[in-house]
Amino acid sequence: MSLTVRFWGTRGSLPVAGRAEAVQAKIVRALMAAGGRRFETPAEAEAFARETLDFAAFGAYGGATACVEIEGAAPAFFICDLGSGVREFGVDAVRRCAAGHAKVFHVFLSHMHWDHIMGFPFFGPAYDPMARIVVHSGHPDAEAALRRQQAEISFPVPFDALGADISFAVHAPGEAFDVDGVVVSLTPQRHSHGSFGFRFEAAGRSVVYSTDSEHKMEDLDADAAFAAFIAGGDLVICDTMYSLGEAVSLKQDWGHSSNVVAVDLCHAAGARRLALFHHEPNRSDEAIQRVHTETLRYEELVRGARPALEVICAYDGLEVAL
Amino acid sequence: MDFALERSEDRLIGRPKGRVDETNWKPFSQALIGAVRQAREAGATLVIDLSELEGLSSRELRVLAAAQREAGDDVGVVLAAPSPQVREILAISRYDQLFAVTEDPAA
Repeated sequence: MSLTVRFWGTRGSLPVAGRAEAVQAKIVRALMAAGGRRFETPAEAEAFARETLDFAAFGAYGGATACVEIEGAAPAFFICDLGSGVREFGVDAVRRCAAGHAKVFHVFLSHMHWDHIMGFPFFGPAYDPMARIVVHSGHPDAEAALRRQQAEISFPVPFDALGADISFAVHAPGEAFDVDGVVVSLTPQRHSHGSFGFRFEAAGRSVVYSTDSEHKMEDLDADAAFAAFIAGGDLVICDTMYSLGEAVSLKQDWGHSSNVVAVDLCHAAGARRLALFHHEPNRSDEAIQRVHTETLRYEELVRGARPALEVICAYDGLEVAL
Repeated sequence: MDFALERSEDRLIGRPKGRVDETNWKPFSQALIGAVRQAREAGATLVIDLSELEGLSSRELRVLAAAQREAGDDVGVVLAAPSPQVREILAISRYDQLFAVTEDPAA
């Protein structure tokens, strides 16, 4: 059995729409790179672009907010967070259900801030009377948050009018639980109203989803506890919204972390792969790519005798096979 | 990890030597904050000579930020003599936008 982690939304705080100028800049870069070449077929042009252009020019990090799928661990769907990316996931899930996939959705909610639940009113399977949705959370008020979001002042379809069988399960940190054969545990994180990181273990693989988590400089002792939680992770998805300089100055206590802290924690934990996640909405594709490049270099500079940590930068549509 | 302080004209120069780890980050942080307070009393700028610091990770960076916070607006804190690798890390972490960085601690 293998696991696939699929990123449906990777942006932090607020969805970001691609603007014309950004697309135009990519086209200009592609034309400049082509330098007057002629291509006989679209496939030939695509191959050239794929080989020649960097990701910021040929691709895009996307603008949907947090939603990550873990596929292959169980017959049911496993979803982390209900950000705006869950709308696109819902469309794809309907397609897969039509092909025979079970209409069972296990949702693991890090917390209930707007950007992590805003996709739920647009999640197609929530309207399907044949679907079953279980929302797992460390927060006893997760249900209240989803109900409030559906209330008339915010949305025309009330929670009780949703067709699916929706239930809520509240879990305590430190007490691992089983969901369809997957061992799940959670850990409290520093964030406004609190957030929880989740660890999933199945098929001899482990995936950690840790977003909206601030690692305070006064809490270096807490780093050890977090490193233990992510120890040996095959894929650790980390909140890397800010630079460390921002996180310790202007944006301290905003509840987010940085790329360099994520690398150091993964090194301490012996993790295999780190995914940069929850990208700052003001960052362009070029800026996110620069952060990725700098993080690769930082990892190299501080690695020492440790095995190399693979650092990837999550984008909407990325699939990682484990 | 050692931390020596010396006065040079209008500067107080702190020289950390060694590596910050889980066993010594608190005393190092306290020593650095103490140095900021001494600099404030003396009306001096605190120069932190990074040349003998073995590596620079988020642990050391966060300790430096604690010193910067203690300094506030009334004590200047300058990072000096970073190796090329340390200078890269200061840029990657954007600490070069939080601190003045100079090559020569005495300059």
